[in-house]
Amino acid sequence: MRKLVIVLLSAICMILLGFTLSSFIHVFHYNLSAPSNMGSANKSGYRLILITQEMDTPFWDKVENGAAKAAAKYGAELEVWGSYGTNQEDFLKNMEIAIASKVDGILVQGLNTDEFNQLATVKAAGNGIPIFTIANDVPIEDSLRRTYIGSDHYKAGQMIGTQLAEDLGHKGKVVLMVSDRQEDFQSKRLDGILNILKFYPDIEPITVIAGDTREKVVTATNEIMNKEPKVAAFVSVTANNASAMVQEIGKRAQLSRFHIYSFDDSPEIKTLLKEKKMSGIIEQSPEMMGELGVQLMVQWLQGETFPLKYEGYYTDIRLLKADELS
Amino acid sequence: MNTVQKKILSLTAIVLFIMVAIWFILTYYNQKMQDQYNDILQRYLQMNEVSASSQQLVTSLNNYIQTPTPSKLSNVEGDRQRLLNAQLQIADLRNNSNHFTLTNYLNLIDSLVDSTNRSIRLLNEKNNEEALNDFTEATRLSKYISEMTLTLLGTELQTYDQFYRGMIMQSVELKKLGVWMLALFTFLLLLFTYWFSLSITRPIQRLTQAARELSRGRFDTHIEIYANDEISFLAKTFDRMRININNLISEMQHKAQLESELQKNKLLLQESQLRSLQSQINPHFLFNTLDTLSKKAYLEGSVETSDLLTSVARLLRYNLKRLDRPVTLYEEVHVLREYIFIQQTRFTERLRFEEEVDEACLYVQIPGLTIQPIIENAVIHAIEPLEEGGMITFRVRDEGPDVIIEIEDEGSGMSEEKISQIMEERFSSQEGDGHSTGIGFGNVINRLRLYYGREDVMAIQSEVGKGTKVILKLPKEREAG
Repeated sequence: MRKLVIVLLSAICMILLGFTLSSFIHVFHYNLSAPSNMGSANKSGYRLILITQEMDTPFWDKVENGAAKAAAKYGAELEVWGSYGTNQEDFLKNMEIAIASKVDGILVQGLNTDEFNQLATVKAAGNGIPIFTIANDVPIEDSLRRTYIGSDHYKAGQMIGTQLAEDLGHKGKVVLMVSDRQEDFQSKRLDGILNILKFYPDIEPITVIAGDTREKVVTATNEIMNKEPKVAAFVSVTANNASAMVQEIGKRAQLSRFHIYSFDDSPEIKTLLKEKKMSGIIEQSPEMMGELGVQLMVQWLQGETFPLKYEGYYTDIRLLKADELS
Repeated sequence: MNTVQKKILSLTAIVLFIMVAIWFILTYYNQKMQDQYNDILQRYLQMNEVSASSQQLVTSLNNYIQTPTPSKLSNVEGDRQRLLNAQLQIADLRNNSNHFTLTNYLNLIDSLVDSTNRSIRLLNEKNNEEALNDFTEATRLSKYISEMTLTLLGTELQTYDQFYRGMIMQSVELKKLGVWMLALFTFLLLLFTYWFSLSITRPIQRLTQAARELSRGRFDTHIEIYANDEISFLAKTFDRMRININNLISEMQHKAQLESELQKNKLLLQESQLRSLQSQINPHFLFNTLDTLSKKAYLEGSVETSDLLTSVARLLRYNLKRLDRPVTLYEEVHVLREYIFIQQTRFTERLRFEEEVDEACLYVQIPGLTIQPIIENAVIHAIEPLEEGGMITFRVRDEGPDVIIEIEDEGSGMSEEKISQIMEERFSSQEGDGHSTGIGFGNVINRLRLYYGREDVMAIQSEVGKGTKVILKLPKEREAG
């Protein structure tokens, strides 16, 4: 009996001790160390900001990746700010904050508006902050941008134009769908196409100005198809209008009747291309844009690359044709 | 010395120590957590301070632009200073994840201050339109600062997320730990206290038990308590007392026994005296008559008869006088010779008597009439029944502190059983019959024992058919009592 009591008591003792110990270990297990403050010490790297209007699009994701890679390589600090769905107000606000934050350099998707140019010329240049446009350019006279990194849109237009002429057999009506925004890249592309097409007098280009939204694109497509039933080819000059346009054309007629071209290489468009609903697209090199942009910025800030080429640094472009894909 | 008081004090000290230790641990951790909470709150408050003071700056700037008075200007100055102070503080909050944003933030504040300054300057230069422009910019910047404060707070929350969760978990665990620790220590202390109280009360209980035994009169149970405090001391003392009482009681019992034996022997003596008085109506008359007879026999020329009568008379006189007083051994031997003379006259050749007496020992005092009855016993048992008679040897010799008296005969001897009967006085009191002095063997033994206060004063060596040897061992110095 006495033995039983002793065993029982020591068992209780051991259990309690075990729980206490495990609890003790738990408490000390949480080795709480607050993220350490760095004090006011500044990091030496350049503070760069990449601002876009089209956050989280596949294209800009790639630009970001490339930029991040280059930033890591050159020891710069990079932050990506952006607005969604081409929200100009947010975009301009980001620009202003970036300038007011006195960053070392701004890589920005060009936007050819007065506000943008005002910010770029007065604020940024006034504060001595270099602005590189990336992917989309703005005219240097308006914006005082240091350089441009991205595709040569004029050349892209020419490539499409050449291909178009070839596919149409030098005659037919071509609809050139543009956005109502006067973007620099758009006008360059248009210039490129028209410059080629003017060598082919039988080809009649029809420039259609559609809005930004899907509905407007659909309406504009409908109107032009009603007006000009014998259109042989469509070119979506702006990036984001192609899918809406293709969809609308597909509703009205057989897609294979038309030659459809786009400057966009989003996955949606690529799918359409694979399904042979489109004839050709221009493929750009977004990653290279980001990489080259950061690299040039750092080098310029360090005084290694000087002077910069004002007309810009062009990244690779390639014409993808539906026939070649399969 | 380990005392009960010390024990209690040490128990209290241990309990106190444990309590204090627990209190310290828990308080220490609580304090640490509180500090962490304070730090976090401090961060938030500092960020909020920037936001608030930038808005305040814009408001006062607005007031100043509306009505430019020096007091409003000083308001603006004060607010600007406040903002700059806040900026200074917030610069210390930089960590890896908010580094970029924080730098932007600080620069934004700078831009705001710049715009404010510019606006004031332009206002002083009466360039109101430009001043308003800068004011608008300041307003916008202030708005951006507020927004960025939110961003920073968001980053803060994200950065510290793990930390906050850890803190919550730790506080929960700490609570658990407190409960478990309390349970464990309560349990241990209960056990310890039980054991401890037992170590005090158990000896007391045993002491109580021992005292109860003692009070019931059982003095022979040994009291032993293993403890190292006063109780043990108490128990030892108590045990000594018990032993003393035990000794005293046994002494008393012994004395009482002696007393009763003495009483018995006195009675015995009186009885024998009475009997001798009964049997000898007028010993003096007999003695005088014997004397007269002796003289008459002598006158008539019968010398031998005369000597015999003289011996009988002397024996008779000795018998009458020296019974309750100690005599010297010399007197005893003398009387013994008279008796032997008488008996030799009776038995003639049949009784052969030899004596080896160390004369130096004869001063020893012994009770009267102790040796004669023994010799007479030998005569009765070893000479009388035998036709050819026998030899009786009487020796007195010195042996250290004792004088040894041996009476040896060559009679038929006796069995062990009978020897023990004699020694233990189980013989009836009638054994005095047939003795010339009326004094028997048992009487002699009793008197000798009483006289010397020793049991081993007489020994009998005998075997059936091989004679008997009675040995008296008389101490030279009589023991007291």
